[in-house]
Amino acid sequence: MTSDLAFDALADPVRRQILAVLSGTDECSSGALAEQITSVGRTAVSTHLRVLKVAGLVTERKAGRYRFYSIDPSGSARDVLALLNQVFRSGLLAVNDAVPNRSVPEDSPPDAAPTDTPHRRPA
Amino acid sequence: MSVLVLAVQEEVTAPPQVVYDLFGAGAGAGWVFDALCDRVAPGAAVTLRAPLDPAGPPVEILGRIGTLEAGRLIEIVHDQPWRGRTVLRFAAHGTGTRVRLQSELDRQGFEWLLRRRGHAVRSAPRDDPALGLLTPKSGPGNLFAAASDNMATLALEQVNADGGVRGRPVELMIGDDATDPATGAREARRLAAAGCRTILVATTSATFVAVSDALADTQVLLVQTLMNEGGIGGRLRVQLGERPADQLGAAAVPLMRAAGGKRWFLAGNDYCWPRSTHAAAREVLPRLGGRLVGERFAPLGTTDFAAVIEAIDRSGADVVLSTFVGADAAAFQRQCHGSGLHHRRLTLAPAMDESTLARIGPAATEGLHAVSGYVESLDTERNADLVAAYRGRFGRWAPPLSSLSESVFEAVHIWCSAARRAGTDEPHAVAAAMHGARFELPRGTVTLDENGVVAQRLRVAEAVGTELRVTTAGF
Repeated sequence: MTSDLAFDALADPVRRQILAVLSGTDECSSGALAEQITSVGRTAVSTHLRVLKVAGLVTERKAGRYRFYSIDPSGSARDVLALLNQVFRSGLLAVNDAVPNRSVPEDSPPDAAPTDTPHRRPA
Repeated sequence: MSVLVLAVQEEVTAPPQVVYDLFGAGAGAGWVFDALCDRVAPGAAVTLRAPLDPAGPPVEILGRIGTLEAGRLIEIVHDQPWRGRTVLRFAAHGTGTRVRLQSELDRQGFEWLLRRRGHAVRSAPRDDPALGLLTPKSGPGNLFAAASDNMATLALEQVNADGGVRGRPVELMIGDDATDPATGAREARRLAAAGCRTILVATTSATFVAVSDALADTQVLLVQTLMNEGGIGGRLRVQLGERPADQLGAAAVPLMRAAGGKRWFLAGNDYCWPRSTHAAAREVLPRLGGRLVGERFAPLGTTDFAAVIEAIDRSGADVVLSTFVGADAAAFQRQCHGSGLHHRRLTLAPAMDESTLARIGPAATEGLHAVSGYVESLDTERNADLVAAYRGRFGRWAPPLSSLSESVFEAVHIWCSAARRAGTDEPHAVAAAMHGARFELPRGTVTLDENGVVAQRLRVAEAVGTELRVTTAGF
């Protein structure tokens, strides 16, 4: 990734939003992404994804008629965003250690598992 | 300004108000909730110790608490190592709470993290002039430098609104010395390679010395903006800022009068500026009737000052000359206050600044004095304009200004005025135009003679809460 290209790519608010969504997930289909990004239409999301791809911020995987996107795993941007994500997440998870001891069931209910964005798995 | 908003959320097995109350309580609730702050109230200084560097110590995120909504929302407005807001939102979820965290990351912050993680960040060749700023964004110096990059940003925006230099906008490039001379030298080389022909250095003197050596073979102008002991020669070296002998000359007599005694204890961090300041004290204080009764040094990054405080107590000193800086100065002062030292003696801390006072907290600043050319509360028209512009640009929770950070604002304007006079940003011409010159700045008139010796009016100030207020108007 050349950083200048990356930052040019980041100059657009929709592209930053796409990146923020992708930073919280492994992979996301273009359809699921378009559902998350409501400020512009589907075609515009595709155009922005192309810019992010050229800038080396995002990789694309094709499976049948679907395309899946993730933050470029070889890129330094992914390293930094993944680190931030993990560090912030661990910061929040640790809160449970300090919660005053109450009758908390040993087995967490299924919806208490760490959740981020609803598109964690491609559709 | 492009800002990336990172969002994560987790569920916690306690109701929102309980989770909310864990913030700042030091209850072992992880690095986000175990934020260091004296109180959870809007405007309170807050430090988050983020484990962003797995190989090193936590990275301190310094800011203030902004908006609070009990049981619902906590906003942290931060400036180090990057500007942004981190917001925690709490919502009931079953019998527990869903905690959502959103954190802003701007381009500078992104670049800072990339470099911190060891990635190369390339910069495109440019035609516009670039001005470098080397400042501690991490390590114990992060505290006194909290407003430094804001100051450079504001000054350059003013310069660029006024036509820039050579008719072109000037770009600011920032390096982080991490309060470490070797890192500072590496960052200065990077800024020079990226096209900065002048680098403003607003770090400890230890870094300035290392940078000066590292760039000895280059044609880069280095300007040390803040107080220093001087002594670095060369046409491409300018050292602005207060000098220890002048500061002691201005402050010693009023301090001895206020303390009702003349015995001094010297205590500070173990590097060149404190050592030079102590050397100046050994010369200046006896001449003014003072007597030295003890001296101690502690390495930069010290957190436990019990031994130093005990030595001070035993010495029977009336005045402590404290040359601790940044986080060390904050910890030293808090521990002095904790041991009741302020009941028995006054402290003169020449490098004490408003940002460090905010960290010490209003309750523990009693008896603390500073001496500098600038304080944020300075009553001049130019300073009123500066403070209004600063708050307008960076908001009410931006860190306070101080002689250390404001020196960056002035250095940008001094550089720009010299470059315009010289008609070029060529370093030798700019340096020459800085000499034998007079500048009207927020702190007042600053002159540099033909040898680069700086003259400015010094003010003795007393800490009142987290503010420095002028008590003696100069000598």
